[in-house]
Amino acid sequence: MNAIEITGLYKQFPGKRMTKVDALKGLDLTIAAGEVFGFLGPNGAGKSTTIKLVMGLLRPTSGRAQIMGMDSNQAESRRHVGYLPENPAFYDYLSAEEYISFVGSQFKMEAALLAQRSEDVLKRLDLWDARKRPMRGYSKGMVQRVGLAQALVHDPDVYILDEPMSGLDPIGRALVKDIIFDLKARGKCVFFSTHITDDVEKVCDRVGVINKGELLVVENVETILQRGVQGYSVFVMNPDGAKEELFIEKAHLQAFIQQSVVNQQSIEKIEPRRKDMEAFFLEIVAQ
Amino acid sequence: MIRTVSTGIVSLLLYGILILPFTTYLKNKPFVEKLGYVPSVAALKSVAADHKELVAATLVLKVLMYFGGLVEKADNQVAVPPDYMSMSRLLHGAVKLDPYNMDAYYFAQGFLTWDVKQFKMANDLLDYGMKYRTWDWYLPFFAGFNSAYFLHDYKKAADYYKLAGELSGADLHKSLAGRYLQESGQTDLAITYLSTMAKIERNPALKKTYLIRLNAFKEVRRIEIARDRYRENHGKMPATVEEVVQGGLLTPVPRDPYGGTFYLEADGKVATTSKFAFSGVKGNSSIKSGEPNERH
Amino acid sequence: MTTIIRITLKGIFRDRVFQGIMVTACAFLLIPVIASLSMRQVTELSLTLSLSLISFILLLLAVFLGGTSLWKDIERRYTFSVLGLPLSRQSYMIGRFGGTALFVLLAAAVLGVAAFAVVSYSSAIYPTDRPIVWSTMAICILFDALKYILLIAVAFLFSTVSTSFFLPVFGTIATFLAGGVTQQVFEFVNSPASKALSPLVKKLATILYYLLPNFGAFDLKVNAIYSLPLPFEGLLLTAAYFVVYVGLLLSAAATIFSRREMR
Repeated sequence: MNAIEITGLYKQFPGKRMTKVDALKGLDLTIAAGEVFGFLGPNGAGKSTTIKLVMGLLRPTSGRAQIMGMDSNQAESRRHVGYLPENPAFYDYLSAEEYISFVGSQFKMEAALLAQRSEDVLKRLDLWDARKRPMRGYSKGMVQRVGLAQALVHDPDVYILDEPMSGLDPIGRALVKDIIFDLKARGKCVFFSTHITDDVEKVCDRVGVINKGELLVVENVETILQRGVQGYSVFVMNPDGAKEELFIEKAHLQAFIQQSVVNQQSIEKIEPRRKDMEAFFLEIVAQ
Repeated sequence: MIRTVSTGIVSLLLYGILILPFTTYLKNKPFVEKLGYVPSVAALKSVAADHKELVAATLVLKVLMYFGGLVEKADNQVAVPPDYMSMSRLLHGAVKLDPYNMDAYYFAQGFLTWDVKQFKMANDLLDYGMKYRTWDWYLPFFAGFNSAYFLHDYKKAADYYKLAGELSGADLHKSLAGRYLQESGQTDLAITYLSTMAKIERNPALKKTYLIRLNAFKEVRRIEIARDRYRENHGKMPATVEEVVQGGLLTPVPRDPYGGTFYLEADGKVATTSKFAFSGVKGNSSIKSGEPNERH
Repeated sequence: MTTIIRITLKGIFRDRVFQGIMVTACAFLLIPVIASLSMRQVTELSLTLSLSLISFILLLLAVFLGGTSLWKDIERRYTFSVLGLPLSRQSYMIGRFGGTALFVLLAAAVLGVAAFAVVSYSSAIYPTDRPIVWSTMAICILFDALKYILLIAVAFLFSTVSTSFFLPVFGTIATFLAGGVTQQVFEFVNSPASKALSPLVKKLATILYYLLPNFGAFDLKVNAIYSLPLPFEGLLLTAAYFVVYVGLLLSAAATIFSRREMR
């Protein structure tokens, strides 16, 4: 079963003066179980709209979204999802611990398990010391971490994270990446949106790029990185012992290697020279 | 910092300058304004929402405080005629909002009769109240007194007193129906009524008014008894109260607590120049006023 | 849903609403003093003042808690996180309503005890001619609370269609005022005194009479103050009316709310 299935998802918002704005123009996307999918796009591209449609917070104008085979307009479809909203806000009169246990009870977790899991996630996200304080006293980064904690507590199979890195300091970002790696290792599906290409390159299996409500491309991260290879930096040592770094175009690599044997040059190292994810992203969005 | 402090000081100064004339202005506001204008009862009912009883009680208290203030002034001999019609209007509004409000009936009875002489209005109000306060013997007791004493409708008064007797379970009111329901029993009737009222009254201002009136009537009764003795002794009616006093039948000399002078009317009936009101003394020195029911 | 009710109650308590009520309830201490101004009905007056004070506090609670509960959740973006849980919109909304309603009941109970104390004190000092019927007073306060719970349902209905708190708050106040007079207006329209009114106005008044909540039936203050017997059948009908009307309001609100877009 696919974790997330989006078919022909179309969303129109009422704009100014009776006009309609197309926020999402017929999106098709399937995300398999156990896959880490990065949803990349500039601000206002339709990432959050897509996620809200998947979470049932918005109603599609046409088309549909499913989670684990269940339509998003059903509350039950969210039973297997850990959701982190964009710039999340939680009942600020509650403490992190209270909120986590509230979330756990909504997922019908057993009390003993909930207590254990609650402790685990609060410690993991470095909220243990602050767990008894009401959240109205939390910093933005702490609230973001509470958001992750409440998405993790019931150990679901699918994670939908809207901008999980925003509002976090470098340590927090590293922690989130770490958590995503961990989930990936345990075979969980993670669908997260971001506008930071570096995040995608490091943790994702696949990436989708969206702009102006249209899904422009869906590709394996590996493939993109491969396709982006333009040439190679080749470090050679000449027979006289002098070292040299040469740039060889992709098409000429084979010929160069053969030639180097003839020239009695020894090849020390070959490094691919490629456009990175950012370049790829900018290129696609610019089209 | 200095700016805020100086602004504060200036504001305080201005407040000090303003507050005295402001409170004086409010104190000297005409009473009608103080009592306020009562909007139509229907409008009041709508705005009162589920606080009709509260609004009714507020209207009654307003009248009560206004009147209490006047009684205090009257004590210091500053005769300020109360705005009885406004008071009545407010009380009528009050019972429209809360037909069970006893204070309103009780108080309206207090001034509508002696002071305003709106006996019909008083009894209509009491009849209205009897429809609701079906357990209350005061209302028929008041109405009975009004009918007998002011309206001289003895048949109706007997009915009211009978009802009051049944409701209160006391024989007093039943016997009242028989004993005093005739012209000659008027003073006794008034004394019974007033002493009942004074006994049950808790509001000091009102209690005082009842006690003063009761005193006046006790004096009248004293004069009546002495007058009758004079007639027995001399075989004729005395022409003046002084005659009775000189006859040694009336010591000490009767004193009208309202500051008036008692006199005898042509038919021998005891009356006073004060007409049983503080304001009555002023500008009313003519002995023969020609009014038939001087005492009311 | 029960967890939502619990969370709602917790929120109301932590927002110090209860302390606010207690401060307002200090006015109870003044009641015996004011009531002693009465000539013939000190106890009745202290009952009147106590019941009115309770009504007033409950009205404030109904308007402000009821009118801002959903609005605040949407405004502060709590809805995104809560509705992202496997929780239907209906049960979320009804849980919010239930928590608020429960708080109003609780407040009514606490204030009722205060009123009981004040009235017993007044009646001990100035004995009444009419015996106080405590059960009538309790039922009066209960129906008062029911009335304001109904008003909360109205506030929730307004909240589901509005993006600001103006409509919920002012709409609720307007409904409260209108609901208090519909009976009078209806009776007037159907009396010979209304001959001058156009048939259209009469029709409109009749429609409004059936459409708007009728709060008049819930007002038992006169019965409590003057110890008048309670109309048993009338109370039963009123209770049934409450259940049906609140059910209607909530299902309408739930339908609208479940279709609402969380942008």
